[in-house]
Amino acid sequence: MGDYFANIAKILSQYWQVFLLKGVGYTLLLTLITVFFGAILGVFICLARMSKINILSKLALGFGEIIRGTPMLLQLYVGYFLVPKLLPFRPSEFLCVSVGFIINSACYVSEVFRSGIQAVDKGQTEAARSLGLDGRQTMTKIVLPQAIKNILPALGNEFVTITKDTSLASTFFVGEVMTSYLIVKGKTFLSMECLTIVAVIYFTMTWIMNRLVGRMERRMRTSD
Amino acid sequence: MIKTVDLHKSFKIEGQAEPLHVLKGVSEHIKKGEVVSIIGPSGGGKSTFLRCLNMLEVPEKGHIFFEGVDITAENVDINLHRQKMGMVFQHFNVFPHLSVAENITLAPVLTKKKTQAEANELAKELLARVGLLDKLNEHPGRLSGGQKQRLAIVRALAMEPDVMLFDEPTSALDPEMVGEVLDVIKGLVKSGMTSVIVTHEMGFCREVSDRVLFMDGGVIAEEGTPEEVFNRPQNPRTQEFLSKVLY
Repeated sequence: MGDYFANIAKILSQYWQVFLLKGVGYTLLLTLITVFFGAILGVFICLARMSKINILSKLALGFGEIIRGTPMLLQLYVGYFLVPKLLPFRPSEFLCVSVGFIINSACYVSEVFRSGIQAVDKGQTEAARSLGLDGRQTMTKIVLPQAIKNILPALGNEFVTITKDTSLASTFFVGEVMTSYLIVKGKTFLSMECLTIVAVIYFTMTWIMNRLVGRMERRMRTSD
Repeated sequence: MIKTVDLHKSFKIEGQAEPLHVLKGVSEHIKKGEVVSIIGPSGGGKSTFLRCLNMLEVPEKGHIFFEGVDITAENVDINLHRQKMGMVFQHFNVFPHLSVAENITLAPVLTKKKTQAEANELAKELLARVGLLDKLNEHPGRLSGGQKQRLAIVRALAMEPDVMLFDEPTSALDPEMVGEVLDVIKGLVKSGMTSVIVTHEMGFCREVSDRVLFMDGGVIAEEGTPEEVFNRPQNPRTQEFLSKVLY
């Protein structure tokens, strides 16, 4: 047991940059990119899903079901092999993997948006329409400002989930925390010690994020 | 002012093959300045009829003429007509994310009927009339049910409508708050506002109405002055209903 802790200390002193700078940096970068572009794409999928045009709505529904019904790792592989074929230049692994993450996250987030919007009482829409506001005004001035309160905390939780899911990107060696594990384990052959370090890093990140989400949730509730 | 011709409306119910036929041919004419109350048992079509008048429910058959225009026609901009029809709901439906003042000024400003400054002035004037001026900058979450409903009435009035539609405006209120809301409505109808009121408050209905409609089974089963409907109901269903609610 003494060896175990001594090894951890040794690994940290030698490879801390790999874990904390490169690893955490790439994990956070990948998460931010995924959530940001996923949310933007998610808005469009949500709009399509809620559209009155039947084909558009069915397409969005079908696409969402396929994405949610297949493993994320598979989607990352598809992105990894497909994206270079679609681009005129040779994209980095990081970019290819990001595309997979973004599409996956967009599907989940579009459902978050949809349920957030539908959770707003129908009476609010009726009241706005009865005053003579059109559909767009009702959406932007009445429904969305209230839906945001349901959506933001859920989006925060998506952030936490994606942070953990980015570990799958280590399959493609893009440099996030789980890749650091592979690198350092390869050099030291100390699996358990490296895994412990990685576990603590992930836990610390998600713990902090969960506190922030919790604080946001409380803020949203009191502003009613 | 509002004329309906043979309105039909049915709702699809999940798990049931047959849609529920709620309105079975309602023809009615509400004149300018008139106060018309609609009474009757639940499920009789009162609220559905009222909600058809401003097309919140779209009837599948029949026509609605508002100030001479058939608002069931396809090419009609219903928003323009709704701006002249105020509606008050059973559950208030005030906007919780806006202040009391913003609740009132939002629609007049968005529909370009008023500038923000004009709307603010009007909001203050209307709030003073219903005794809520001190709540101007509060959020509706801090208001009681009765205050919320008074705010909802003011919000509708800020559009300076030609007619007001009330959908059971006191049914969701605690008993001690019913009076304050009814007083506001009374003041309004006495000032000559054309009103259509779906209500279970029989005393109030009798006092303010020019005409009472008794709706049951999707049709207007009986109509007349309050005197006629309450004292000498002709239809056995009206008699039965009144015997249950008047005691």
